[in-house]
This record gives sequence, structure tokens and C-alpha cells, in this order.
Amino acid sequence: MAKVRIYRDLCKGVEECGICVSVCPKKLFQPSAALNPKGYRPPEMKDEAACTGCENCMIYCPDLAVAVKKEKAAKGAKK
Amino acid sequence: MKGKRVQTGKYFMMGNIACAEGALAAGCEFAAGYPITPATEIANRLAERLPQVGGMFLQTEDEISSIAAIIGASWTGKKVMTATSGPGISLMLENIGFAIGVETPCVIVNVQRGGPTTGMPTAGVPADMVQPKRGSHGDYEIIALCPASPQEMFEHTVLAFNFAEKYRVPVFILSDALVGHMREEVVIPEADNIEIVNRKVPDIGTDPQKVKGFLDEDVAPMFLFGKGFRSHVTSSCHDEYGKRNLSDLTALDNFIRKLSDKILKHKEDIVRVERDYEGAEVVLVSYGAVSRAARMAANLAREQGLPVGTLRLITAWPFPGEEIEEMARKAKKVIVLENNLGQLYPFIKAEAACHADVSFLPPRVIGEIQDPEAILERIREVLK
Amino acid sequence: MSEIVHPLHRFIRPYVTSTTNCPGCGNGIAAQAILRAVDELGMTLDDFIFVTGIGCSAWIPSPFFDVDVLHTTHGRPIAFALGIKMGLPEKKVMVTSGDGDLAAIGGNHLIHNARRNVEMVVICLNNGIYGMTGGQAAPTTPMGLKTASTPYGTFENPFDISELVIAAGASFVARWTTHHARQLTASIKKAVPKKGFSFIEVITQCPVQYGRKTGSGSAVQMMKEYKEKSILLKEAAKLSKDELRGRIVVGELVEKEAPEMLDELNKMKRRVSGEKA
Repeated sequence: MAKVRIYRDLCKGVEECGICVSVCPKKLFQPSAALNPKGYRPPEMKDEAACTGCENCMIYCPDLAVAVKKEKAAKGAKK
Repeated sequence: MKGKRVQTGKYFMMGNIACAEGALAAGCEFAAGYPITPATEIANRLAERLPQVGGMFLQTEDEISSIAAIIGASWTGKKVMTATSGPGISLMLENIGFAIGVETPCVIVNVQRGGPTTGMPTAGVPADMVQPKRGSHGDYEIIALCPASPQEMFEHTVLAFNFAEKYRVPVFILSDALVGHMREEVVIPEADNIEIVNRKVPDIGTDPQKVKGFLDEDVAPMFLFGKGFRSHVTSSCHDEYGKRNLSDLTALDNFIRKLSDKILKHKEDIVRVERDYEGAEVVLVSYGAVSRAARMAANLAREQGLPVGTLRLITAWPFPGEEIEEMARKAKKVIVLENNLGQLYPFIKAEAACHADVSFLPPRVIGEIQDPEAILERIREVLK
Repeated sequence: MSEIVHPLHRFIRPYVTSTTNCPGCGNGIAAQAILRAVDELGMTLDDFIFVTGIGCSAWIPSPFFDVDVLHTTHGRPIAFALGIKMGLPEKKVMVTSGDGDLAAIGGNHLIHNARRNVEMVVICLNNGIYGMTGGQAAPTTPMGLKTASTPYGTFENPFDISELVIAAGASFVARWTTHHARQLTASIKKAVPKKGFSFIEVITQCPVQYGRKTGSGSAVQMMKEYKEKSILLKEAAKLSKDELRGRIVVGELVEKEAPEMLDELNKMKRRVSGEKA
């Protein structure tokens, strides 16, 4: 279980970037409905409850636009 | 000679050595350089003396890294210097522009030699007089001093460090193989009698986003590294707070003008000339080694009742335009003497030609100093 | 939903609102890896001075990181870093720059400071192209690639920068790709406290000037390719040179003890003042 925050205004878009979408082992990201002020389309989480807190999305985001906070120790998390 | 920064005393000393001793007396803590004739004695001396006073000299892989290393060290608070000759300055020019743009105190000694290119390394020729001002790309102002003796190699080096600290700008010493390699009496005063100027540094805790660290005509304090300022120092066009701006032309205009105005506003403090033309109709204008011949020629001329005087340029840059114009208003004839094809001559002529007749007299052979008799002959010609 | 805060945002300079990276730029992954290393080491950015040259990767800490940073001329950050280290030996000096800046125009300074084994950490963002100026060939561009300055394909052998730095004498050399963000952080954490010249090469995607312009794919595709092509050092040791062609050997390639310049210099200074009666 983990909380995920997407900083929409920092994001550079699922199409142009899309790294978080690609590195999530559970494929939990999808394009959100609205564009951000810069015209990029940030992702949104399909199912936050299914997130294992592996932190891939946070670690790999080039714009530091995703933050993950583990609720409890995620035993299945990748090293 | 060991241990002490200021080697007070009277010596028979080579110009280059006097320069190194001047650096030490001024508080130089770090120097870097690359071997090049005719400047190498300065590096060798600094390599020996700096560690004795807790400082250091590094011989780097090339002149580009010498100037880079001293600029880096200056941003940690150190007083720094490098010494080279024309070919080395040519390599350093890009980074000299960087030092100017981010306002870094440093002293650069050019012991000039016969050029262009490899030329004649042991020939004392002031071949690079405009290079400090126009050598790096862009519009900028710089300070350059022209010593004419080993004593001045000592004194001007101290002055150069003080100007660098006061104005946060690279300061050139434009010497040459003649002045650098000649030996003469050098008097090094007591340490208490040597004025030392230190750069302004903000108090710890000052916010560089609230207090200007750049582009102040009256010289901003320097937000040194390692003190928690989180100082942003960039070669890009920037504003008074070091914030990069690559799109607004007003920002570029501000960047260019403020950097120049910082020096131009303080010309009165910076520009030095030596005047000896009271009542003269013919004034000999010169600098550096040639000024020794000019002085001798003027004395010979006066002994023969000729109304001759001299104006010696001690600062080549910022250009002493006002001082030359002032002299030209009083003179009828101006003879410019340089040991090159006329590098400062066009600038001198521009200031003087509307008030007096200006001509140029090189030596018979570039590399030789003008013969005082030849100067006298020209004086008689212009007086006809 | 919006109560959590990115743990590394506190390292970002207050007036910076976003990165200047193109979407998907690998430099951003490396930037975060650096900040994560600083954080996990329990250090602050005040322990560091950053020095950069010219190019997109030179903008990693400038102005993004809230730190002392000297953004210098093309190819020269390591030369400036030497002077900074001489003046502030207790601070950690870190250089972030690109393959063109460090190994083309700056090659001489890279070689000599690796030789001197001066204590500093140099992170080389190797994207195989000159990105900032529009996609010209670099000394690391693969043979045959059509770039802005080699429209018919490159005809030069590319560098293996890490091999160059190893040969010059650096005491810590590692190579990772942006696929290996966690390993990159681990190597940076190792490099920072190390005495000696630490060099970390990061194979990184330039999605616009390399990816799009040469037809090499998107950021995601390029990272997938790094994953497939990478091979750990100990696995690579089992393969022949032919089998390794086209592979990216990753890992901590060299870690050794060697005399470090400031150490040797201090020994010399103690000798000199010892001689002074």
C-alpha cells in the first residue's frame, strides 16, 4: 500500500515522456483527462490501492513529478 | 629568502622575480601556470615561495587549465595569479572573458615577446597591448598596467591585486622580456607600508536572491563558495542575482553595460599616467621599456633648449583618453613611441589629433628600443 | 491526496519552477539519482560545490539544485574544479557534464585530472550526441549514424570514455545507464566519500536530438534498449570481445587505491615547512 502524488504542473506528459507509465510493474498509470497549463497530459493512477510502493515511478521521473510514500513495508518491492 | 611574505630590503633583482615577490607581498595564495619563455621565472619563483607561506603553485596541463584553476580558486576566496606570454594569453582568452563576465578577481601577467605565433620568445616586444581589451569576445572593460622597471614589476603587481579585489575584475600586467629579464635595484618596503585591499564579501546568512552579487557599478559583494550562500555563478547572461536570462535583450543590454560601467565609472581611481610636459611643445607618449628611452631623449632635448616633455602611460586599459586629450590641448606636436607597429597609437591619435599634430615613431628595428638620438632627430623634424 | 511531498524537492532552488529538460530526458533521472545519493548519505548540498560546462547536462545543477555552482566554459569544468578543490579541500566537488564537454573539447582536462587522481566526482552524461546545439555527432556517436553534422553517417571510431579514464589512472570508475537509476545512486554514494578521482559514466537518452532525429526511438524505447544491451561487468568477463560488440558493460569497472593529488601535495607542504628552521 502506498500513497502516490502526481505533481501535474511539473509533468511533461504521458506521450512525450511516459517513463512512469513504462516502469510501473503493475501498469497503474493511465493518461488523465485534462492537460496541464503547459499543454502536457499528465498521468493519473488507475488503482492506487494496488500500488506496492516500489517507487519506480518516483525514482525514474526526470522531472521529480511523482512522489511515493509507502504506507507500510512493501515486501515485494524491487531493490 | 624563505618563509616571510614580504621580503623587506634593497635588492638587485630581476623584473620577473620582483613580480613574484610583489604577488606574495600582495597576499597571493594560489597561482597556476604553464612554462613559457620569457615568463617562466615567475612560475618557478612562485612554486618555491608560495608553499613557504602556506600557499601553492600548480603547473597545469596547459594555459587554459591554469586560468581556469585560478578562477575556481578565486571563488573560494583566494587571491590568485598566473603568468605567461602572448601565446598563453591567446589560449586563456575565453576563460578571461568568463572571469570578466562573472566578476572574478585575478591577476594575469603577460611577459610579452616577439610575435606573431611562436615568433621570438626572448625578444622583448610589447606585442599584445590591445589583446587584453579586444582579445576575448564581446564588449568589456579590463585593467592593464605597464611596468617600466623591476621596481614597477613589484609595485604594479601589488597594485594589480588591489585593483582586482576592489573591482572584481581580471587585471593584466603588460610586461615584456626586456623589463622581465632586466636586473635593477628593487626596494621592498616594510609590510606595514604596503597597502592591501580585500574584496567585499557578504555576511554569512545573506540571501543572494535579496542582495546583488553581480552587475553593480559600485562593485557587488562576492558570494564566495563554501559559505552556505548557494551561490549561482553562470557564464550565461544573468541578472544582478546570478539568475540566467537567455531571452530578454534588456537583460543582455544590462549585462554588457553594467560590466563595463563598473570600470568606466571609476576611471579616476584606476587610470595612472606620469606627466612631465609642463611648458612643452613636443610631448613624447610612451609606456613600458620604451619610456626609458623617451625620458632620456626628453632630457637630452631639454639640455639643448628644446621644449620637450613626456607622458608615460602606466594604465593601458581602461584607456587614458582624458589624460591624453588634456596633454594634447597643451602640446603642439605629439610623438607616440612604441616598440611595435603602433598598437596603442590609433587610440592615442583618436584622442589627440584634433588638438595637436600626432605622429608615430617605431624603433629602427622592432624589438630594439628607440635610440634616444633617433628620437631627438624626429623631435627636431617636427619642430621645423 | 496532496499531503505527501517529494523527499528531494527540498534540494531544489526556490525560484526554479520546473526543469529545463525535454520530456523524457535522461539527465533528469541522473539529477534525481544525485540528489537521492546526497540524501541517503545524510549530507546536505552545502557539503558540495558543483561545477559544470556547456551542454544540457551542465544544467543539471544550474539553476535546479540549491547549491554553490560554477557554470563555466565549454570543456573546462574539471579545470575549474581543480582550483575550487585547492581552495576548499574539505568540500565535495562534483562535476556534471556531457560526453562532448568532457571527452571532446575537455578531453585533456579529463585525462590529466584522472592521472592526478584529484579527489572529485565527475558524472559524465553520455548521450552520444551534441544535444544542446541540435544533434551533431559526438566522439561517442556510433559509427554510421546520420546526425546533423554527419548527414551521410559518421565515419569515426567512437570513444569508450570509461576505458580512457581507467587508463589515465582514476581510482574509481563506474558505468550505468538511466535504466539503472538505483545502481547509479549506489555508485554515487560510494564515490562521494572516496579519496581520489571518481568517474561515473551514465548512458542517457536524448529523446529529441538523438531519439527522434536519428530514428532511434522515444525515451521509453531508448531506456528499454539500454536494459537489453546492458551487461554486468562480471557477466561480460565471460564473453569474448566479439560477443560484447554492441553491448553496454555496466557496473563498478575499477575501484582501487592510488595516491591522490591533494594528499601528496600536503605531504610535500609538510616537508617544506619542516625544512624551514
